[in-house]
Amino acid sequence: MAAKHRREFLRKSLCAVAGSAAFTSVMGKMQLSAGASQKMLKGAGNNYRAMVCLDLSGGNDCFNTIVPTDTGNYGTYAATRSNLAVPQNQLLQLTGANYGLHPAMAGTQEMFNRGMAAIVGNVGPLVRPLDKQLYEQPGTLLPPQLFSHSDQAVQWQSPRADSQIRRGWGGRLADIFAASNANPVLSMNVSMDGENVFQAGDLVSPYFMSTDGVEDISTIQTGAPNCEDGGQGWNRRRCLTFNALRDMNHDHPFERAYAGLLRGTMATSAQVREAIALYPESAAVFRPFWERNGLAWTPDNLAELPSLARQLLMIARVIQARGDLQMSRQLFYARIGSFDTHGSQLVDHPPLLADLSASVAAFYDVLEDPAFALSNDVTAFTVSEFGRTLTINGDGTDHGWGGHHMVFGGAVNGGQIYGTMPNLDASESNPDNAGWGQIIPTLSVDQYAATLASWYGLSNADRNTIFPNLQFMNGNLLSVGGPDLGFMQPG
Amino acid sequence: MIRFQNDLSPPIAIPALLLGMVLGFSSASAADVTKSVSQKGVSQDLIFASDFEGSGDFELTSEQAARFLTQATFGPTLEEIDRLRAMGIDAWLTEQNQQPVSHQLPFLDNLIQQFINAGQSIEVWQDKRQEIWWRNVLQEPDQLRQRMAFALSQILVVSDQNGALEGNPTTLAHFYDMLADNAFGNYRDLLLQTTLHPSMGHYLSMFKNRRPDEVLNIRPDENYAREIMQLFSVGLIELNTDGTAVDGDPGTPGVQTVPSYDQDTIRGFAHVFTGWSFSTCDEIRPENNDEGFNWWAWEYCGAGEENQDWRIQAGWRTPLRPWDEGSDLGEVYHAVDDTKQLLDYPGVSLSGGVLPAGGTARSNMEAAIDNVFNHPNVGPFLARRLIQRLTTSNPTPAYVGRVAAVFNNNGSGVRGDLGAVARAILTDPEARDPQQAPSHFGKLREPLLRVSQLWRALNGRSSDGRIREGWPDNYGAQAVQRSPTVFNFFLPDYQLPGELRDAGLFAPEFQITTDTYLLRMTNTLAGKVYWEYQGNNNILSYDPVAVSLERELAMAENAPQLIAHINLLFMSGQMSSAMVNLLVDHVESIGVDSWEGWAMERVQDALWLTLTSPEYVVEK
Repeated sequence: MAAKHRREFLRKSLCAVAGSAAFTSVMGKMQLSAGASQKMLKGAGNNYRAMVCLDLSGGNDCFNTIVPTDTGNYGTYAATRSNLAVPQNQLLQLTGANYGLHPAMAGTQEMFNRGMAAIVGNVGPLVRPLDKQLYEQPGTLLPPQLFSHSDQAVQWQSPRADSQIRRGWGGRLADIFAASNANPVLSMNVSMDGENVFQAGDLVSPYFMSTDGVEDISTIQTGAPNCEDGGQGWNRRRCLTFNALRDMNHDHPFERAYAGLLRGTMATSAQVREAIALYPESAAVFRPFWERNGLAWTPDNLAELPSLARQLLMIARVIQARGDLQMSRQLFYARIGSFDTHGSQLVDHPPLLADLSASVAAFYDVLEDPAFALSNDVTAFTVSEFGRTLTINGDGTDHGWGGHHMVFGGAVNGGQIYGTMPNLDASESNPDNAGWGQIIPTLSVDQYAATLASWYGLSNADRNTIFPNLQFMNGNLLSVGGPDLGFMQPG
Repeated sequence: MIRFQNDLSPPIAIPALLLGMVLGFSSASAADVTKSVSQKGVSQDLIFASDFEGSGDFELTSEQAARFLTQATFGPTLEEIDRLRAMGIDAWLTEQNQQPVSHQLPFLDNLIQQFINAGQSIEVWQDKRQEIWWRNVLQEPDQLRQRMAFALSQILVVSDQNGALEGNPTTLAHFYDMLADNAFGNYRDLLLQTTLHPSMGHYLSMFKNRRPDEVLNIRPDENYAREIMQLFSVGLIELNTDGTAVDGDPGTPGVQTVPSYDQDTIRGFAHVFTGWSFSTCDEIRPENNDEGFNWWAWEYCGAGEENQDWRIQAGWRTPLRPWDEGSDLGEVYHAVDDTKQLLDYPGVSLSGGVLPAGGTARSNMEAAIDNVFNHPNVGPFLARRLIQRLTTSNPTPAYVGRVAAVFNNNGSGVRGDLGAVARAILTDPEARDPQQAPSHFGKLREPLLRVSQLWRALNGRSSDGRIREGWPDNYGAQAVQRSPTVFNFFLPDYQLPGELRDAGLFAPEFQITTDTYLLRMTNTLAGKVYWEYQGNNNILSYDPVAVSLERELAMAENAPQLIAHINLLFMSGQMSSAMVNLLVDHVESIGVDSWEGWAMERVQDALWLTLTSPEYVVEK
């Protein structure tokens, strides 16, 4: 289908959907929040704003990601990390800081040094600020199931350290901001790697894509709400029965849930597929994804790109199609796994950091390209369920608590480290050490997330609803108190 | 037990009340029943409204037999429906217990040997392990054992998505065979064998875990210590026998959960799980050295002979061994000096759950497995997970409690009898009698079970007998022993946002039912129905598993009969009358002789529309 025809198809399909039964049913999952005020929605569609959540799944060893470079602190680090320590002369120096990055992270170094990236030191889930004395004191409020993957991943993405609620702050944002999008069916939240807590809202569920893009049902005309054939020879009878079986009254709640998912994906997939086809991955603007990863540009060979590069490339294509899809607010989710480096860390960890560094740098090369010019409107940030232990188990590290995180984009007050970096002394007398090298966070995930959400446009009133524990994040037990850590420029 | 053969006399023991409802269903064979259920518009619910399948004293209807087999096997066939009806559930379960175990490893070893004999490089990878899994679950008679092993493989998770295991299909096959061997055995044996399996040792880094070393700043790896408790046995919070959370403070509104263990417990187990390496380690003492031990042999000990392919090395298929066991060196890498905090619970045999310093790597391992196995959580923890894999996502606490009670005591005073647990899950009134189950009973079918059901029902086979289906994760987000993490493909507590979450229902399989995989499953089933059928010459070049549609084509002229047949095989007769009507109308709208492919179109449409419908994908 030629580009012109694709646009025409999209226009028709968006109109058709809006006038069909599918519209109301899909809107069921996207009911506009009553709290979305007209003021907030003013100007919707005129500008664009997106965030990309980069989930370093498994628990990134941030202590080998960002390493002190001054002699004294490096010495402490080297003594603690023993055979896992990154050699001092290989660290990539961060301008204006006594810290360097892992040698696999040249792209991030470059972004930090030109003000496009910031580091937020020692963040983790907290119910209340605490120090080692409070931590050891019975009765102190602690996040439940500390150091467990599944629980701390939820606490990072909800971010509710006082609860096991599987609803994320990205989902709650979408509950409020989805009304900004003119598209009636496509979710504001798009996941490149399956189900996640971050994007699950009360009303909004994410739309799931893969790095291969979007597929249709191959045996029926999926994009046509009433199985209109369009003269293309589709089997209309089969399509009508398929839809009838989907839309009939279902007695079982699971059947209703499945039918709802099916309706949603059928209403959405055809239009997304057509829209991103307008912006093929072979376009020269996407060259940096290969070049930043040290590969020759071979756009017909996506498979050789590392995992995050493929995900961010697809996200860039969806962003480029924002006008065609009538989207002005989006939240994306990408994930790289295998950060749970209990063993073989020296072999397994560097390639993950290399993918993160190179692929995010390439993503911003693309967003800075005149074809996009969106680097100030798209912010990417890392999450990871925990930092790892300072201490080692021989060839790896175990589950920790606090960890350092990275924020990327033109709207970031970059080139700085926010918060206080912890003492890396392995001894139990280190006040930052909860025991066995598990570091007590000095910033809460609530603060980290709220800073991003405020930049995104969240009002102070809504902020206190989504982040109810933010009110407790004050005082000198934290390296920075209050709801805004200052790493984002005013929205 | 009263049984009936294929005569028309009604079963005498059936209460008269039920008689009218079961007439016509209880006496015909499965092949015949499709004709008698074919009345368009007849509510199939009637069959279940009359349910008596829980009693065990009466012959099952074909629909009841199909439903049982959907829960207990990889999919009903007409033949097995008839066989089960003839023998009854009790005898069928007993027979399953006695079936020889179908193993994976011999198949892979044989393939490897063929490459070796031919002097070729050994092209035996994880897709071949998937192949023997498919062969066993599709073709072998030990169906319930394989179904239990599949369920256990999603609880005791190892995965080829791991650097140490991705190139090693045989060690994973050996692990799966261990699950099958113990599927009706004792859970304590399974916990020990799982812990000592070299696959698990590598997957959760217990392999070569070592005692603290203050000079090198090394302490024991906590990975396996944490997950054996959190995921394999006890879980994070204390449970009542019915699986509900213990309330630590009944005076406060809501349930105040009580953690089952803390970081000290994890560290205690981490110390226990030290000192283990391949069973093939030798030369732990260097020649001409009476003093020390050979650290090299700890660091680099292999799984077998050096020039042997790793896929046939003994170390990868025998339990780990304390590295220095049998030597006079003492415990070199085991944390023998430390006192170890293990689980503490009422009735714990170690005082305060504390394992004193001393012992050996092996004696401490045995003590730790005992300590885990006897925790009161294990019964309800495992019961709920196995119930979710076999029958329903949301069992009532009473159902969990009944199964947990059998885990705690199989009736002969034995704790941990998995055969008794499987029987308890499948014969429970909640599983057998819809009248005694909540209206949300059931689960979203797992992607692999959708495919296995299709192929078993329609006698799927390739022309050369091979099964080239090594990457089902590409379309279903699921392949055996290929989950992305130790947390399996989906979580037992996953809640789908919307109506299900609001109702407090768990729906694990929905976690992988994303837009991407929902579409791919829908399309994959289209391929397997519209393209990969026997007689399609276009598929000869790649020779996939192809379904046989012969029997269905013979019914194509009679739409109600065709739909009733599909209803029995795939939906245990539970299709709503509205769905029956839609499908019969659809089939009849394809006119007989309207074009040369009319019969094929009728059959293929009826199958695909059924297999992708919301009513089908939710097994009830």
